[in-house]
Order: sequence, then structure tokens, then C-alpha cells
Amino acid sequence: MKSLKRIGIGLLAGITCMLSVSQTAMAAVSDNYVTGDNNYRQPVPQSYNVVRTINNIGDYEDKMQYFSNPQDLFVDHNDDIYVVDTGNNRVVKMNSNYETVNVFYGPDKAFKSPQGIYVDEDGDMYVSDTENRRIVHMDPEGKFVEEFLNPESSLETGNVFSPTKLIVSKTGYIYVVRGENIMALDGNGDFRGYYGQTNIGYDLTEALMRIFASEEQKKFISKRLASSYINLTLGDDGMIYATSMEREEGEIKKLNSIGTNIYRKYKTVGNAIRNPITDFINNKILKSVVAGNTFKFGEYFNDDGMYIEPIFTDICVDEEGIVTVIEQLNGKVYQYDQDGRMLVAFGGLGERKGSFTRASAIDVDSKGNLLILDRINANIQVFEPTEFINLVHAATSAYNNGDYSGSYDLWRRVLAIDENYDLAHVGIARTYYKQEQYKLSMEESQLVGDRDTYTMAFDEYKYVVLRQYFVLILFIAVLIIAVVIVLFLLFNKYAKKGYWSYLNNKDKKMGVGQGIMYSFYTMLHPIDTLEGIRYNRARINMAVPFILFITAFVVRMAYLYIVHFPLASIELEDVNPVFEAVKLWIVPVSWIPASFMATSISGGESKIREITFTSALSLVPFIVINTPLMFLSNILSKSQRSWYGVFSTLAYVGLFLILFMAMMILNNYTLKKTVGMMFMSAFLMLVLWLVILLCYVLTGRMIQFVIAIIEEFKLNFL
Amino acid sequence: MVKQFLKERLGTIIILLIVIVFVIWGFFSINEAKNNAITFVEDYVEPEGNVDFNDPGTYVSVAKTDRLELFYNEAKGAIQVKDLESNYVWKSICDNEVYDLKNINKQWSAYLQSPITITYNDLKKRDSGPRQVFAGRDCKLLSYENIANGVSVTYGFTGAGIYITVEYVLDDDQLVVRVPVEKIREDSKYAVTTIELMPYMGASMNDVGGYLFYPDGSGAITTYEKADTRPSQIKLGTYYTYTNKFVNFQNLWYSDNYSRYTSSMPVYGIKNGDHALFAAFTKGGENSAVMVYPSGYVVNLNHIGFELYVRNIYNVDMYSMSTGTDTAATGGSVQRIDKTLIPGEREVRFFFLNGEKANYSGMASLYRDYLVENNLLKNTVVTGENMPLALRLLMGVTKDGMIFDEYIPMTDFEQVQEIMERLGTQGVTNMEVVLSSWMKGSSDYETWPPANQLGGKGGMKDLNEYLASNPGCQVYLANELTFATSNTSGLSEDRDVAYDGLNVEISTKMFDGTIYYLLNPLAIQRRNTQFLNNLEKYDLLGVAYSDVTNYAYADFNENAPFTKAETVEKFKEIMNDTVSAGRKVASNGGHQFAFGQADYLYNLVEDNYGLAITDYPVPFIQMVVSGLIPYSTEGAGNLSYDLQVQKLKWVECGSIPYFNLTYESALKLRDTGYESLFSSTFDDWEGVVVDTYKEFKENLSCVYGQQMVEHTVLQDDLVRVKYANGVAVYINYGDAEVTADKVAVPAKSYVVVGGGEQ
Repeated sequence: MKSLKRIGIGLLAGITCMLSVSQTAMAAVSDNYVTGDNNYRQPVPQSYNVVRTINNIGDYEDKMQYFSNPQDLFVDHNDDIYVVDTGNNRVVKMNSNYETVNVFYGPDKAFKSPQGIYVDEDGDMYVSDTENRRIVHMDPEGKFVEEFLNPESSLETGNVFSPTKLIVSKTGYIYVVRGENIMALDGNGDFRGYYGQTNIGYDLTEALMRIFASEEQKKFISKRLASSYINLTLGDDGMIYATSMEREEGEIKKLNSIGTNIYRKYKTVGNAIRNPITDFINNKILKSVVAGNTFKFGEYFNDDGMYIEPIFTDICVDEEGIVTVIEQLNGKVYQYDQDGRMLVAFGGLGERKGSFTRASAIDVDSKGNLLILDRINANIQVFEPTEFINLVHAATSAYNNGDYSGSYDLWRRVLAIDENYDLAHVGIARTYYKQEQYKLSMEESQLVGDRDTYTMAFDEYKYVVLRQYFVLILFIAVLIIAVVIVLFLLFNKYAKKGYWSYLNNKDKKMGVGQGIMYSFYTMLHPIDTLEGIRYNRARINMAVPFILFITAFVVRMAYLYIVHFPLASIELEDVNPVFEAVKLWIVPVSWIPASFMATSISGGESKIREITFTSALSLVPFIVINTPLMFLSNILSKSQRSWYGVFSTLAYVGLFLILFMAMMILNNYTLKKTVGMMFMSAFLMLVLWLVILLCYVLTGRMIQFVIAIIEEFKLNFL
Repeated sequence: MVKQFLKERLGTIIILLIVIVFVIWGFFSINEAKNNAITFVEDYVEPEGNVDFNDPGTYVSVAKTDRLELFYNEAKGAIQVKDLESNYVWKSICDNEVYDLKNINKQWSAYLQSPITITYNDLKKRDSGPRQVFAGRDCKLLSYENIANGVSVTYGFTGAGIYITVEYVLDDDQLVVRVPVEKIREDSKYAVTTIELMPYMGASMNDVGGYLFYPDGSGAITTYEKADTRPSQIKLGTYYTYTNKFVNFQNLWYSDNYSRYTSSMPVYGIKNGDHALFAAFTKGGENSAVMVYPSGYVVNLNHIGFELYVRNIYNVDMYSMSTGTDTAATGGSVQRIDKTLIPGEREVRFFFLNGEKANYSGMASLYRDYLVENNLLKNTVVTGENMPLALRLLMGVTKDGMIFDEYIPMTDFEQVQEIMERLGTQGVTNMEVVLSSWMKGSSDYETWPPANQLGGKGGMKDLNEYLASNPGCQVYLANELTFATSNTSGLSEDRDVAYDGLNVEISTKMFDGTIYYLLNPLAIQRRNTQFLNNLEKYDLLGVAYSDVTNYAYADFNENAPFTKAETVEKFKEIMNDTVSAGRKVASNGGHQFAFGQADYLYNLVEDNYGLAITDYPVPFIQMVVSGLIPYSTEGAGNLSYDLQVQKLKWVECGSIPYFNLTYESALKLRDTGYESLFSSTFDDWEGVVVDTYKEFKENLSCVYGQQMVEHTVLQDDLVRVKYANGVAVYINYGDAEVTADKVAVPAKSYVVVGGGEQ
């Protein structure tokens, strides 16, 4: 799987490369961008400028002017800045002009590798004095108030207490990151429980292991743990925003008072109990039906296009609820709104101003400046928002506050700077929606591929149209129903005609038209149809399966063009005809040799010819279902996707059933035997694919080798 | 009998014959390789040295002019220059007055006392890295002779058997330093690759007050005072002249690599208190780099100097067959070097400034005069002419489709006319318009014909006729001649592609399988000639070089080899061809070698890379060309996050206002790779463009065509520029009004003093 990913990423690397090509042809380009729900980096105007870099604490101290491995940074309500200078075992306090005003080395005893700090509204500091195994509470002057040691509790297993990142809620509870949990302590230092543990979920392999493994073996099965938390911050809304290593639900969380994540999630079903069946429905059926489900926080590749799994080291939330996180592996800063939509990404690894080596902490001051601490460079960079991003923030918060017309105006101003800024189009579409201008909303959201807003607007628009032209629509509906009935009768008639004329003319070979009509009889009486082939195998026309394969492909292509936008499974520009053909044909085509091989060694009677024919027949449900479905989809939207999904799944169920029945009938097998042979054939199919893949890889290597020899030859002798 | 034998053993005989052929072939190949290999003397005996490293020596006057006096120290092989205007002495090496040499380790002490250092490779060991030796420790044999107006010194690095001669000569008010390549002697198995020339000339501690100036972007400053505010661990700045010395696509195309390591002109400056020194590599500067070491890089000494590359060096990635990468254990990288030294003269000139002139503005002025005198900078601005508006119009793009690519016209030739017409009626009569992606299929690497969807040749003809009646407008067709893809028509891979010294094509392969090539300078010239021939009927259209002026490289293509210096000359010739064909030439940004030919510079860099050692950017290039060649910045008004800030930048740089537009809506650029044109629709921007132009014309016409003589950063966010005619412009980037020189400058605004508005 990983290697496959890498191929995909390799492609992306190419794309980034491509971009820089056109960049040389273009004017100066800012390295700010957004990635929508796909991985394409779409450039946006400069959003933040580095206005200041603080490399040392100035003349306040004679020795140790430089930071050493600083791990945390906090900006309080007066814009005073606290830096946890871990390597120097101290906390440095600076005022809003970035001048050092105080340095704390620890109240009662010296700090030992402190790693986190929280400052409350009174200016009291809570420092994670990590190596001293305590959280220490100091007053604004740095005097000792109290300390919190490892709480005694039945839930605690006696692990060493190494507090790192922490916050203090308005109720006086201390929340501190502890592995896969956030631990809550009350003002007395008593344990108040774990908070926000992530669902481990269900794992099939593990379940099987539990069933089959012996007691001895079980000892060696490591217990699966939930993903660890990395960092947390307290929002002005009282919610705890946290980052974690969680890859299932999302690396960024917004936890409510009972510890439930209410931020954008990867899984649409959320925290519901997971089992293989719901997983299958979510991942395989719903995802394959509707595109745009590939959303992830951050990016899964770095600037060189290599695969990475993002680690968000710190998070901050401003007064307007704008969430900003820093990512450690590619040094990027990602900013999201309250709905988890990316506003901008910038930064990166490097030597230049505005880039990082190892960003360790981020916070935001009241003016919206981002302060980002780098522990290797041992400095703080101050990023000032530009007019552009300020407008974006204002527009987002206006919308969240219900000021739709204000938000509309602001988004228009954003578009004046960047006509292609996706979120502005989404914002405008949503404002139109709130203003009940559904048609306009649909146009705006379709422009940027926002299926959710489109669906909302479309559903409303449908009712508007329905109310307005009720009689007309009713009339058309009746007409369509009538036409459909007529068509169905005709279909029935011709299919029957094809079937009987083939069966009755025992001395004539199957005609092409007749064969096609005959094929469609599969939809009505599959068993009869298949038996018809079995008993008249000599007379079948091999042009028919060929035509069916082609027809199915044409239907698929037409489907991609015609299907309603919110229900499309793939963006039109991403479609690769070859890949589509492979996807469609791989099972029925590889079925032919696999099933022939399987049956011919175990008393089967079927021949390649009729297997080919029946294999093509298995595509008939696909053709018959998808043809009306693509037109019908145009009055459906994403909210009807479940039963829409059922229909498109039916096509595949039909395919499977026909192959199954064909195996049974053509070879005169019993039901049990058929099931066995189905598995056998499936296995052979797998082997076949593996062999083909192997040949492909080996030939590739061979060719590479020959090319290398030729190159070497050219270099040395020519 | 024989026949039968032959018949029976035919297979064996054939194989034997083949083996014999191979053996003979191998024998000759090995012989040839041996002949091609660098020869070296096996039995080198190190001669006796004559240098006592503990002897401080004395400086003796060897030459004198009205302005300067040159001293030579026989014991150290070092020089000093006394500026007779101020009696300030510029020292080529550090002594105890400059830096406390006793308290640093021996190696650094030797380095600080070295007038030159060399780097060499061992020819016998194929994977040995480069080694550096210092004159202050390893130059054991020193000799000198007096030459006219100076002294010629030979530094004998006896351990490595390498002898370098350096000539120090006074020429009026300049110190000229030459390194004659023909006098370099290599007696042993070591081959010299790099010479560091006077790395500690003018080096000083932070308390002196002053700064280092170096050619990062438009020019950059590292001040001595701000040393405290820099990180504890600093990176040095390296600026290769015109193009990185390692030529590959990574370094050519990745903007990070390119702007980090490339300089547009081989110059640097030092300001120590009220005295300044300015160095320019005037001959052979193509193979050089400026190395910037601010205080804190091992020693607390600010120093800067040139590195000369006298021999090409290559890193060979050893491809590992088993893993398919070049990073495995069997892979890795080894160094290969050229057999011969890079020929050509090497000459560095040092200029000296004092008092008010001792700053980067004074340096720019000096360099400008030098370039004009030597016909390296041409004057194209006609005095009294209206200030032009700079426009860049994207003509067409292609979008990948499911089966066929879709061509999207963004601005056709008729619409170009319409844009100029509409702007013209609103008072914008003078324009410099660059048209890009106008070729068929919007393929930038083709040079002909114009896309039919844009109006084709007919459209171009009409545009040409339109220009005849609008003399204020100048239209340039942009082309990219330096690169090509495997699909580019009319190119031969053997003849036209650039090769590196290992005889490997300089190319890169993209994800879709397209291979991009760097081209041989001769092929570029041929393509240019073809282009000019095609343009014959359209006599008023100029040519914009998008890439020719951005790179310079050595090409080892056997059919037409070029040294880097020859490539530069060839590129100048290409532009001259166009000039002599009666056409105007525009250059995309452009290195110094474009200044002698270009009529207009677009995308002229206005900022710098932004290393932690850099305190602020200065418009050095702009000061050099201001008033002589019109130029526009990289940042377009419509692409800025804030137009007002962009305007201020234009004013600071003395640039003409610039917009990058399309006639059609920018929404059409989605998924085309051109999304960085965030907002470019002409209809939306028309009003802003006209207003901006009028504002500039009204306020700044008085300085158009004038030399920018002074640029001063008065305080954070406040800049003052002065022009030769006495006009001063104050630019305030801050959010609050500030007063300077009794002039109140409103927030985010500028004030012109002494201009035409009174």
C-alpha cells in the first residue's frame, strides 16, 4: 500500500515541479497556497509577512542571551510573551514590544527541563517542570504558590509523571497531555479523570488473532493503544483544541466539555460504534459513489513530494475561532476555519526568513500576529497578517456570526484580490443560500466543486421549482412515466423476441442484433438465458460479447459526463479513460481464463467461448442500471446518495450473481460445488494479476538495465 | 579439409573474432582514456621553503598614485592600500590590531593571516574530497617581483606543489588584482580548483560600525551593529555569479536554490566607519562567487571576498543498480574535475570611497560609471519622454482534458489592441507590453507560429499596424530559448543540447515523461535567428527574453563547446542580433550582461532571498540602471496582497507601475498551472490601472529618466531616495505618520519633495 502511495506522491512531485516551471515564466509567486479536499496546491496571495525575528533576549541577562532548545511559547491577554527556554531551564517573559521584562529560573527549586506553560488571566503562571515531575504554579512575580505532583488514583498505574503541555480552564481544572489522554486535575491536585480519549476502533486482524491465537501467542500480541495527544490550547469559546497522532478521525480536535471531538472529522459517521460492516459501507460504497471525501488535515507529502504523515506540534486559536497549527516534518503552518476548511498554508523548511528548521510552538496575539518558536533555530518569528488574510478572517467570522450580507461584501473583496480563492466562492455560495438565491448559490459552489453547499442549495431549489411549476412538472412526470413504461414493455418484448427466436431457429447461427436482444433477456430470466447458451453453445456469436464490453465502457464514459455534479465519483478532469476501462473490465475479463482454468480441472463442461459470452452478460446489469441512473441523478443530490449508492451497487451485485449462476449452469455444478469453484476462480484471478504485475515489474527492470547498458556504452565509446 | 574445419568451428571462430575486436577496442579505449586523463608527476619532491611564519614583516611602499599608495609585506606576502584622500589603510590580512590573533586556534590564526587560500583535489584518489590550504600556514615558498605600478607575488604551496601568481597593481584611484591562469603551476598530483582571494581584505569587528554589501537579489546589507540580533548559529552567504557553479535543473529551476545562490553582478562592498571599499570582478567574473561571512561565523569578524573557480568540478552520483537510487551504500557521490584550467583573464578592481560617498549608493554610482565607460550599460530612456506603464499579458493556456488538451485563449491579439486602445483613451499613452504564451498550443518552448485561436499571423499583423500609429506603445513577444522539451521541433539531441563536463546531457524528466533540456548557446542563437526571420513582416514587435539573460553556464557539447564566459558573450551577441535587426529588446530581470543591450527590464528583482544574516534589501541594481533603462518590478499591482504596499515598493525602487493582466476572466485559469495569476481580469482592473498610472505620472514624472543617487533607510519602514536633479522621495511603509527632515510622511504613503508639483 505504501509503495502505491509513493507512486501517487511521485506524480504530485511532478506536478509541483511543473508548477515551478510555469513559475519561471510567471511573475514573482508567493509560496502561500491552499489545498482543497484534493492535494493540489493552489497558490494564494501572500497572507503573512515576517515583521520581526527574535533571536535572543537582549541585554536583560549578561550570560545566555540566546535561547536553547525552547519548547513552548504562550501569549497572554496583555500580549505578554512567555517562552519556555527548556535548554536553559528558565522561562523568559517579554512585553508586547518584544523586550525582555523578566526571567524565571524556578520558584522554590530550579526548573529542570520545563516543557510547557499556561498563564491565566491574572498573570499566574503554570509551568510543566517536566524533569522535576511536577506542575508548578507561580504568581506574576514568579513566587511559588503551589505545586501539583502525580495524583494518587485507582486509575493511575504508577507511571512516572512527566507533564508537558497544559492548560488551565476557567473552572480551575488543569488539563495536561498524558499519552493517549488528556488528564484533568482539580485545584487540589486531585485526579479528575481522563478526557478526550480516542476510540481505538475495531480491527479485523486483531479480532481473528484473539480467536485463533494460543495463550502463549497472545502474550506477544501488543495491546493496541489509542493515538497520543501532542499539544492542546484553550479557545476563547471554552473548548479545548488539541492535536494528536490520530489518523482515523483527524489530527486536530475540538473537544467539548465532555471530551467529544466536534471538529471536522475524516469519518462522516464519527464516533459511532465501528464494525466491519459500517466500515465497508462508509469506505467502499459511499466513498466510491461520491467524490470529495479525501479530506485530510495538513498534507501527506512534503515539498519534495515524499510521503509523510503530518505531526502537528502545536495549535493556537484566535478570538475569531481561526485555528492555526504548525507541522513539524515539512515546517508548514496551516490555518483552518471553524469548519475545518483550509484558509492558507505557508512557511516550510529552509534558511530564509519565514521558514523553519523545527517549529516547536505557536501562539497568536490580540492583533492577530502569529508568533512561532523554532527550537533548533532558537528564535521566534512574528508573522503579521496581510490585508488579504485579514479580509478572509473577517468574512469567515461575519458568516459565523450570522451577518450574511456583511460576509458577502467581505468575500467579494477577497475575490477582488484572488478571483480563484475557493473559500470565497464557498462563502458567497453559502450566503446566497442563506439569502434563498439557490440558483446563484449552485453556480458559485459548482465553480469550486463544493458538493455540500451545492446539495443544500439544490435541494431547496428543487422545491422552489416544484412549487412554481407543479402542474407542468406533474405533467412531465406522468409523461416520462408513460414513456418509461412503454420503453420497458418494448424492452421486454424485444428481449423475449430475441430469446425465443434464438432458441427456436436451431439451425441458424445467432445474429448480432438478435444476440444483443437475447443478452438483455438476462435481466428478466437470467437462468433461462444462461441455459439457452449452454444448450446452444455452438451457435453463439462472439461479436455480441465484444459489443457488450464496448457498450459498457461507452455507458461508463457517458455516465461520467452526464452524472449530476454532487454525485460524481471523480472530477471530470481527473478521469483517465484507460484506467476507467481497466476498472470496468478487469473482473469480467480476467474471469474468463480464471474460471476456465478452475473448471477444466474439476469436471467442468464450459468452454472459453461461452464463458466469454456469459462474462459479457454480467455487464448487462451495469448497462441497464446506469443508463437511466445517469439521467435520473440530475434531479438527485448528495443527500440522496445512500439509495443512489444502493442502485449503483446493484449493478455490481448483478455482475457477481450472473457470474455465479453462469458457473453453476454452464458446468452443471451443485450449489456447494459452485461456491467452492467461485473461490477457486477468485484465487486464480488473484494469481493471474500477480503474475501480470510481476512480469510488468521485471520487464521494467530489464528495460532499465538494458537502457543503462546502452547509456554506459554511449558514454564510453561514442 | 580447412573448409570442413571452418564449418565445424564456425561458432567458435566468430566468438573468437568478436573477443579479439573487443580486446583491441578496449586497448585503444584505455589508451585514449589514459591520454585524456590529467597527467601528474609521481615523484614530486617538496622544495625547501623560505617563509618564517612567525615573522610579522614590514610593509614597504611599492607603488603610488595621486589617490592610493600600495604597500607590500615580503614576509607575509600581503598588501596594504592607503587611501591618500583619508589616510585610511585597507589591510588584506588581519593583524593584532584588527583581531586578537593569540586567543584563537592556530588554524584560524593562519587563515586570518592569509592573503589567499586554495582548494585542491587529489588526482590519485577518486573519492577524495577537496582540501583547503591557507597561505598563512601552507605557503612555504614566497617570491615576488616589482612590476609597473605594483607587485607580482607567487605563492608556493609546496606541500601540494601548487604555485599561484597574483599581481597587485594600482590604476589611478583603483587597486587592480589579477590572477593570471597561465602562471598557475601544478607540480604534483594535486589539481587546484578554487582560489579565495583576499578573504580578509577590510575585515573588521562589530565596534567599527558599518556594513557588508553583497549582491543577494537586488542587493543586501548586513550591518555590524545588528550582529547581536542574529541567531547564535549563522549561515554564510554564497552568491555564484549569474548561475550556480553546479549546473543542473535543481539549481536552475527551483526558485529556492536559484535565488539563494545566484547573483546578478559579481560585486561586493565593505563600509568601515566613514570609509568604504567596493570590489567588482571586471574580467572573468563568470567563474566566481561572493562569500559573505558576518561576525559570528566562527570568529567575530565581518569579512567578505571573492572565490575564483579556476577549474570545473563535478559531483558524480554513483547510481546503484541494485536499489535503483544513488544514495545506497554502493552509490554515493564522488568528485570529478576537468583536465584543464578554465582559460581567460581574471581581474578584480577595488574602488575606495570616503565620507558621504562611503555607502552603497556611492558604490552603485561608481559601478554605474564604470559600466557606462566600458559600454556595458546602455541608455535607452529619452529625456522628456512620458513615463510608460508596464503590462504583461498572458495570451493563452492549455488545460489537460480527458482525451484532448483544451486550449483557452486568455487575451487574443485583437484584445491586446483593445486594452491598449482603452487605456490610451484614458491617458495612458506610453506602455511597455510583454506578451507571453502566444505560441501555438501555448507551448513556451516553441518560437513560432502564433496560436490561431489568438488571431494567428493575421492578428499579429494587425497589432503591428496598430503600433505604427501608436508610437508610445512598445510590444514585446516573450520567448524561452534556453530550454526545450523532447517535443520541441527542430532540435537534435546530440547537437543542440548542453552537456556537462562528464558528457551527460543537462536535462530533467517530468512526471508525464516529458524531458526538459538545457540548450547549447549556439542552438539558442540559431533559434533566435529563426525567430527574427519569422518576425520579419512584423517590424515593430520587440523581443522579450524570458530566460536567456537569467543563466550562464559552461557547455561541454563536443560539437560546440562553450566556457561560461563564452556563453555570456554569445548571449550578448544574440541580443545584439536582435538590436541590429532594428528591434527593441526586453529582458526578464536579467543579469548584468543584459544591461548593454536591453531596452527594458521587466521582473527586475526588488527583494532578496531573506537569509537570517541579511538585515535589509537595497535597490542596488536599480540605482545602477536608474534613468538609463526603464524597469518594472517582479511584483505586479494586481497580484499584491495590498496594492498600496506594492506602489510604495515601486516608488522606492524607481520602477514604473506594472500590472500582469488577462482579457478573459482569471477564473478560466483554474487547473491550468497558472493559478498564481490570482486576479487579472482586465475589466476589473482597468480603473485601478489608469488611476495608478495617473498618480505616478503626476507625482513621479520629475524623477523618471533621472539617476537615483541616494537610497537611505532612515528608520524601520521609512526610506528616502534622492535623484540626480535634487528631488527627494520619502516612503513610509508604517501604519503611523512619521516626520523626517521636517517632512511629514503619512502612513503607508510617500512624499515627493522638490518635484514638479510646486
